[in-house]
Parts: sequence; C-alpha cells; structure tokens
Amino acid sequence: MIDEVIGSASAIAKGLSITLKEMLSPTVTEDYPDAPPKFQERFRGRHVLERDEYGLEKCVACFLCAAACPADCIYIAAEENTDRVRISGGERYASVYNIDYNRCIFCGYCVEACPTDAITHGHGFELAAYETSALILRKEQMLVPVPEGVKPPVIKEPAPAGH
Amino acid sequence: MSDLVKFTLDGRELQAAPGTLVIDAAKKAGIEIPAFCYYEGLSLQAACRMCLVEVKGAPKLLAACTLPVAENMVIETESPTVVDARKFTLEFLLTNHPLDCPVCDKGGECELQDMVFRYGAGESRFTEIKHHVDEKQWSPVVFFDAPRCILCYRCVRICDEGMGVKALGVTNRGAYSEITPNMGSHLECDECGACIDICPVGALTSGIYRYQTRPWEMDHVGTICTHCGDGCKTTLGVRNNEIIRGNNRDRSGINGEFLCIKGRYAFDFINHPDRLQSPLMRVNGKLEEVSWSKALVAVAQKFSEIKAASGKIGIIGSNRTSNEENFYLRKFAQAIGTPHLDHRRTGDIATLLDALSGRADALATAEDLYTAQSVLVVGADLAQQHPFLAFQMRANWRHHQSRTFVVTQGPVREDAFATRNLRAEPGQEIDAVTTLADDLKSSGDLIVVFGDSIRGDSLRKLVSFIASLGVPAKYICLLDYSNSRGAFDMGLIPGDGGMSAPEMLAASDLDALWVVGANPLADAALASQNAFVVVQDLFLTETAQRADIVLPAASAYEKTGTVTNTCGQVQRLSKALNVMGAKPDLDIFHLIARGMRLDLGPAQPDKIFSEIRATVKGYDIPLPVIATGGAALTNPVNGNVPHAAASAALVRGSRDTLFTSGTLGRYSPILSKVMEAPGGLYRK
Repeated sequence: MIDEVIGSASAIAKGLSITLKEMLSPTVTEDYPDAPPKFQERFRGRHVLERDEYGLEKCVACFLCAAACPADCIYIAAEENTDRVRISGGERYASVYNIDYNRCIFCGYCVEACPTDAITHGHGFELAAYETSALILRKEQMLVPVPEGVKPPVIKEPAPAGH
Repeated sequence: MSDLVKFTLDGRELQAAPGTLVIDAAKKAGIEIPAFCYYEGLSLQAACRMCLVEVKGAPKLLAACTLPVAENMVIETESPTVVDARKFTLEFLLTNHPLDCPVCDKGGECELQDMVFRYGAGESRFTEIKHHVDEKQWSPVVFFDAPRCILCYRCVRICDEGMGVKALGVTNRGAYSEITPNMGSHLECDECGACIDICPVGALTSGIYRYQTRPWEMDHVGTICTHCGDGCKTTLGVRNNEIIRGNNRDRSGINGEFLCIKGRYAFDFINHPDRLQSPLMRVNGKLEEVSWSKALVAVAQKFSEIKAASGKIGIIGSNRTSNEENFYLRKFAQAIGTPHLDHRRTGDIATLLDALSGRADALATAEDLYTAQSVLVVGADLAQQHPFLAFQMRANWRHHQSRTFVVTQGPVREDAFATRNLRAEPGQEIDAVTTLADDLKSSGDLIVVFGDSIRGDSLRKLVSFIASLGVPAKYICLLDYSNSRGAFDMGLIPGDGGMSAPEMLAASDLDALWVVGANPLADAALASQNAFVVVQDLFLTETAQRADIVLPAASAYEKTGTVTNTCGQVQRLSKALNVMGAKPDLDIFHLIARGMRLDLGPAQPDKIFSEIRATVKGYDIPLPVIATGGAALTNPVNGNVPHAAASAALVRGSRDTLFTSGTLGRYSPILSKVMEAPGGLYRK
C-alpha cells in the first residue's frame, strides 16, 4: 500500500519535472502565422533575382536556367543592352523572365546552372493563389530592390532628332 | 586512277586514293580528327593546329589537313603526344578568347566550346589580362567581336572562294591579327551572312539573330525560301511563333549550306507593320476592315452574279503561291467557265520545252551546274539574280576547272573566271553565242543557262544552234520567283479565247478582276472603270489599293504545299508558324468556292498534290522524295498547257537583284537597310 503511494508520487513528480523543465526551456514550435517562420539557410523557396553592387541585374539572359529546368517552367526573352538602356552587367538582359509556379518543383537546378548567380532560392513560401495565372511570377515580382545609395539603372531619353 | 595507297591509321590498315588528305581518309574510316580551319570545299589553310597527328618517322607532329597519305605511312591520332598537343592548342586558343559563353550567341553550338569540352583541359594556366578589342558593327547584318576570333580564316575563304566577293581580309600580325572588312570600317558585299554561319566561334554574329534567343530554344523548320526561283532550302529557327533566324547548317536541301541575304534574313516581311491582318472592303469609296465572313460572302455573291450574267472574269495568279494553290485556282477558273487566266511569266519555259520536244534528260539542275564540264550563261547576271546557281558554277570552276562562257549585256561577276566573255545587247545574244561555236564544241558536256531576253524565236535558234554542236547539252531556263515554274506547269495560262494579263487590264468591258499574290497595277492601269476587283495579298499593294475587296493571305512560311524551282525540281514547303488574321490562299479559294456552291474537290494540300501527280504532265514524281524534304525533278514535257497559249512576247523578267524581291522585298526591313540596296544588274 505504502509502496503504491510512493510509486505514484514519484511517477507524478517525474512527469511534472519534465513539464516544469519544458516550461522553462525555449519553445521550438513556430508561431506562424502570428510570427514569421524561421528557415534553414538551404531552404528552397520562391526564387529571387539578384542585382550586383551597382544595382544592375545579374541576369544576362543566357537561358541556362530554362535549359536546366526539368519542369520547363522558366520563360525568358532576351534583349540587348544599349548605351541608352542598360539593365544588366553583361551584353544582354532578360526583358521578360517568368517562372510558372504551377510547374516549378523547387529542385534548385536553375540556381545551380546560373553562371552569374543571378537566380537564387529565397525563403518565400506563401505562394497560394486563387487562380493559376497568378502563379506565374514576372521578373519585377522576383527582383530584389535596388540597394540603398545606388542609383537604379537609368533609361536615358533618346537624343533629340538632328543630333 | 592510279593504285590505292596503303597506310595505317590508329592501327587499322586502310587504303585511299593518292593525294587524299589524312583528315579526309580518317573521316571516311570513322575516325574524327578535330579541326577548325579545315573546311570541306574551301582551300587549305593549316592555321589552327588542331588537327596535329603523329606520323611514324616524322620528327614533329604534322597537320592532318594538309598531309596527303603516302605508302606505308603509320599515323596515330589518339597517342598521348597528340592528346597533349590538342590540349595545348586549345589552351593557346583560349588565352585571348573571352569566356563569355553565357552571353555569346554561339553558346550551345560553338565548335570551340565542343572541342574544349571534348579535348581540352579543364583549367587555364594563363592568368594575365586578356587582349581586348571592342565589338564592331560592319553592316546591319554583320557584327564582329575580335577577341572571340580564333583566326581560322574560314570567313575570309568562304567570301573569297565561295561568294567571289573578297570582302574580308586579315590585318596586323601575331596576337594582334584581326579580320577586317574590305572598306576598312564596314562591309560592302553580298551581305549573305555565310561568314557568320561558317564561323566556328561567336566572333561573327548576325544583326538579326543577335541576343534574341539560344539555339536550343528554337524549333527548326526546313522549308523553301520564298524569294527567287533557285529553290534553296532555308531552315527557320522558330520560337514562340516567331521566326528568329534562317540558315541551312544541316546542309539539307539542294543548296547545302549556301543561302543569300534573302534566304538567311529576308523572312522579316512577315512581321512588317503594314502586313494586312483583316479583310478590307470598299465602303463609300474607302477600304474598311470587315470580317472574313462578310468579305467572303460579298466576293462569292458578286462572282456568282457576274457568272450568271456571263460576264468577263479575269484571274491573275501568283508566282509565289504553291503548286496546290495554283492548281486549285485553275480548277476554279474552269468551274466558273472563264478562260481569262494568266500570271506574270518571267522566262520562256514554254518555248524551251516545246523546242526540246519532250527530249528526256534535257533540263539541268543546280547539282549538274557543279559537275558539268562547261557552262554557257546567256543574258543573265547570275550572281545577282540567281545567287545559288552562280555559287554552284563558281564551285565547279574552283574544284573541277570547268569552262564558263558568258554572253551578257554588261559586266557580271562570272567574268572573273570565264573562259570567254562577250557583251551583247538583249535580244542580240544569239549572234555572239554563235561565235563561240569552236570553244563550245571542244569543251565537253554543256549546260546552257539563259535569262528572259532569250525567248520565242531567238530561244529556238539557240536550241538548234546548241544541237548542231553535237555535244551533250542541258538547259536551265531562268525564272525569277519561287514558284514561277509551278505557276506555268499548273496552267495559269489563258485558255481558248482567253485574255492574257495585259489584255485583261486593257479590256474596258472586264466585269471582275481577281488578283492572287501579284501586283499588275504597279506599272499598268486598269481600263475597266466598273470592274469588281478582288485582291489576295500580304500587303496593300498598288493593285490592292484599287481593289473592292482585299483578302489578307498567308506567306509561304505560313503554309504547307509544294513549289517548283527554276530547274523544275519540286520541293515541299513546311509551315513554320501560325499567322493571325490572314489565311492561306488555298483556304480562301475554297471558302469562295463554297460560297458559290462550286464543288472543286478537297482543299487539303496533300490531296491536291496527289491529284497533281496523277493529272499534270511531268509531275508523276516519287512521293517519298518530296515527303522527306528532297527535291524531285519533273520530266521535261510541257506541263499542263499547250505552249501556244503562252505567248513569248509577254515574258518579262523581274530584274530583281540580290537586294530586291518584288513586293516582299519592299516590305523586308533588312533588305532595305543594307547600304547596297537596291543593287543593280550588270555592274562592275
């Protein structure tokens, strides 16, 4: 009888000790959506198109990401940089860069293929949409903002006629 | 032929004819010796050092591209020394070559890239700063990026030997050597782009294709160029329903790699802003856009009314529409009972076929021009008007020392290698030709190439003169548009009591004029004030401006069918892209016929072609040849018409140069952008 009481008390104490210990230790559960979730650095989320230190786009429209993509979800149209319009550091830039997130499987091959480190996986994951067309993201939606203190790529006005 | 030479290649006992180059012998045996500067058909250069092989007994490695096989020669192509030599050669080539493959247009189809991948070293030991030169634009077509150049001289040789233009050379010495155009800062040449296509790296790039896409992104559609009558195959790179480039690197078709500026770049008329995209109908004296159904109903109604009233309907067909369309149009004309059917004839093929009176094997092809022992050109500036035929003749002269005789009204490029060249005014050429009798007699088998000034009686004279020489002779009657020959063979010729095209325009009582893909009012007036004019065309031409109804038509790149080239070879068109607003002429004919309740049979190109093969004389050609993209020669018998209907007096050449191409040329931005445009015939 006494053994039974002691046994129960020790079991309760043991159980409560874990409870108390866990109450005092930091939580591991994410508070999402009340707080932003934390990711491992290697997490492959929504793509981010990078800029170089001068604010120019790193993408030179080499199409290697589109070639590497097993889901065929990247669409690019290339255009040449000119004196008037300079968008990227190379000779050409992507005038259109779309990723179709209906098809993307987040395999990371595009990031691996990129010779200029222009495309990276960000940690964005809130991709739900009410219609599939909203899942096709344009270049403008994926580009990082122009870094502070750097002038954005300027599109100069054409020289007036006669010059 | 003397005895074969025995030699050993990579341990294999082989034999080859004396004088065979090691690189060729190896290729025949299935052994690849890599090379940049060696190019089949061009003179030897031995500049790139990529093809070095080890020959037993020779103190150094030897260049396989200039080394003929010799008796008991022992050659190694994969020995450690050779493998090392290739690696070092590539390392040297890469010292100044920028590693900008991601932005280089050649990336993905670059020979240097492939070679480095296969034979090269992964890393370079060259850490110094690369010699940089800024990119130059030599013409609207050609851009040159000197650092990428590996100085293989292919461009210099193709321009000099292949085209006979000599527009490129090399300046400076050593590491500073640079390909330079003939005018110092810019090119004045054929603008054919052969140098760009032949460049193994991305040093020469095309102004049209530049930075547009990458080679693996395109679909490649092999079709027949819609410009001149030579019938070159052009492989169109299509991406997103847009033609991005044209070339023929796969050497399919009769022309191998050859293309002129029109075949390579002048597909841009299809996207011209003035291209018609909706039918137009004259309402209160002005052409207004209407729907297809409204326009087609109006045409069918009006034609039915005129037919019921036994009015005169004149039909002028096209030199550029397919055989199927021309055949169907002729059936249409018969069904509505009008004999007034014609097209603009640019060469007197009718008289030629009649004069040859069905003689078999009397028509030459472009391939024959490369093998014949002698060629007689009468009344044509081939390099301008028929660049592919001129290219074949030049190649024949370079490779086989053929003899060329030229009788023209002014200087032509063929003069440079002609055995004899004579000048004669158009119409007077026959007298000059007869003075060549002795030369022609002693020159072996002969091909006679003649232009539009040789027609009717003078053509008969020419044929009987050539027959009197007693040498085997074949003929090429030069016709100027992509399907001029087909239009004639399909019978777009006046029937019994029918009017010719000029007569239709001059007839004041014409009730209706139906013009398909032609522009007869460019240099003539329509006499009949009240004629109901229907025009099918891509653009609002002078004729279309006079029309009551204009129906937008699809170009040859936007439909299937077959065309017959100037030599009489039938080839198939492949549809490269879909087009908005316009319809193929065949569909338009069919819809009008349906509106008029005419039964003209099926309107699918394949079915009509079977009908053509069964009914048109000379067109019972093997279907597999056509279906697989080959060229089948028609038999030299008078196509679908008695020659008497085709009056020789109406033969009128287009006089197009390398830089003009009728209506299509006017709407091709690239043809008008090059400074040579519009060019001219018989100029030095």
